[in-house]
Amino acid sequence: MRRLYSSLVDGRGFDLCLIGIPLAFLIVLSGVPLIYNVVMSFQAVDMFSLGSFIRPWVGFENYRQLIAQPEFWPIMGHTATFLAASIAGQFLLGFALALFFWTNFPGASWLRGLFLVSWVMPGLVVGAVWNWLLSGDFGVFNFVLRELHIISDNVFWRSDPAFALWSVIIANIWLGASFNMILLSVGLSSIPDDLYEAAELDGAGALTRFWTITLPMMRSTIGALISLGLIFTLQQFDLFAAITAGGPNNSSNVAQYWAWDLSFKQYDFANGAAISVIMIVVVMLASVYYVRSTRHEVRG
Amino acid sequence: MTTQIEFSGVNKHYGAYHALKDINLSIDKGSFVALVGPSGCGKSTLLRSLAGLEKITGGDISIAGEVVTTLPPRKRDVAMVFQSYALYPHMTVEENLTYSLRVHGVSKGERKKAAAEVAATTGLSDLLHRYPRELSGGQRQRVAMSRAIIRNPKAFLFDEPLSNLDAALRVHMRKEIRALHDRLGATSVYVTHDQIEAMTMADHVVVLRAGIIEQQGRPLDLYDKPANKFVAGFIGSPAMNFLPATVAEGRAATIDLGKGPIRLTIPVAAPIGSSVLIGIRPEHITLTAPGEGRFDAPVAFTESTGSTTFVSTATNPELMVVETGRRMVANGDLVGLAFADTAVHVFDGATEKRL
Repeated sequence: MRRLYSSLVDGRGFDLCLIGIPLAFLIVLSGVPLIYNVVMSFQAVDMFSLGSFIRPWVGFENYRQLIAQPEFWPIMGHTATFLAASIAGQFLLGFALALFFWTNFPGASWLRGLFLVSWVMPGLVVGAVWNWLLSGDFGVFNFVLRELHIISDNVFWRSDPAFALWSVIIANIWLGASFNMILLSVGLSSIPDDLYEAAELDGAGALTRFWTITLPMMRSTIGALISLGLIFTLQQFDLFAAITAGGPNNSSNVAQYWAWDLSFKQYDFANGAAISVIMIVVVMLASVYYVRSTRHEVRG
Repeated sequence: MTTQIEFSGVNKHYGAYHALKDINLSIDKGSFVALVGPSGCGKSTLLRSLAGLEKITGGDISIAGEVVTTLPPRKRDVAMVFQSYALYPHMTVEENLTYSLRVHGVSKGERKKAAAEVAATTGLSDLLHRYPRELSGGQRQRVAMSRAIIRNPKAFLFDEPLSNLDAALRVHMRKEIRALHDRLGATSVYVTHDQIEAMTMADHVVVLRAGIIEQQGRPLDLYDKPANKFVAGFIGSPAMNFLPATVAEGRAATIDLGKGPIRLTIPVAAPIGSSVLIGIRPEHITLTAPGEGRFDAPVAFTESTGSTTFVSTATNPELMVVETGRRMVANGDLVGLAFADTAVHVFDGATEKRL
């Protein structure tokens, strides 16, 4: 008894406790629902069997049904567009901002901190703000584009099937760019100044230094950021709920919103689970890449 | 001798801080010049200004006859070895060496050939495909130097390149850098805070303090004829002993070590009654039996390295004596101190300039 006590207070038992508590937390709140979801995607589920864990096993029937739905491929296409455009936009804008603040003009760090406001705002609030900005008849976005003579007539961003997805993408880029900027700023500042000085003395101009020093030295940061971006973007639900609700006519519907729609609006839990499992696989792959790129950091 | 590098009236301000004050310095082609001084004296700033990494706020710098004051670093054709080596961590040794060639559009085949040639002379041939993180400190140092050599620049700049190495390797690299300099016939500017490095490696030593050149010249001239108290104390190890003295009649001065005035002959004339500083290097004092030297002093403590014995006296101010070999004196023993008249340096008490 005393040995057990001393082990718990100061020894292996204490270590196990420290690991055990967060592990139990993760298992209860993430692990079990995840497994439950995976199991459910292989079962026949309806409103009446919702409460039981043992349900008729149907194999890949749910997946077959899901893929057979006419909106499946368009929604997958939208998801891919949303991912690619959001990640590219957030990354490029974030990198541009990071480089801008890197020049360290007076007040740069202060201003950089302010940019984080967009990142800490809840998606629903950001969605509401962008609803006004993107509004077809009185939106500021249209006004700016019109004054710049980029468009001649108002664009009804949220209700035009050609633009609905892009209105969410624009809001999402705005939401995520500052997070990209912060991580990239950290990456930039971790490159020692004397490397640039050495490169400059070696004859490299600003652009050459960027391509041969900055980018390669940032490789692990960029890898981590892209995989994090993939994970965060696949989790982006609030903006869809707030801006377009997947419409009009599924033109801005994406996998994560569709999963919710199937499960909790159409009560088709089996198909909702199936699409979630597909997303889990994608996110897992991104996570593996994330872990790999943070492990292979270049050290001097 | 032609002048390779010339600083004329160079000033550098950081805001209100005046880091370099009207520096005039010319460096001969093929010479090895050491900039030495305590930290914050401006030696690194001067070197970085030469490289173009710092913009000077006044004056001109020219390299090989061309004024480069406004040129960016990459157009100055100088190579620098950094204290941290600044090797590109994501490139192999070969890529590190040939980076400048790559930037200048030299073909891959020629780059490989050039890298192999330089690596052969610096002993890096087996390491060409390693990354900097896989190298020891001395090997990194060699890569940094080879990266400079491969460019065949107008001048080599060294910014305290040995301070990250252990003592034994430092002594070895000192010789290696100097040998390399001689072989290449290059012009080198070497910044260090270590006066021994400056004395042993350089043809010409420039001592800086607070942004001013205190003295420059050949190493032994600086040792023999320091221009002021600062240079006298900075050059030589252990540092010179300084004794406040009052000038007396007949080319003499009196010092007081706490036991009444002692009369010493001085090699220069000075107004009688003026206060001066007498400087005597520890290695120029020899211990004798009491009463046989210039004066007697009790021993405070001794330190022996085996080959050398350092003896400190229990006087005010304390005197340091360096004896070659082992000297068996115990703490509290009375010893006589002897030195030649020529070993005495005299500095003005107020301006600290050599008299």
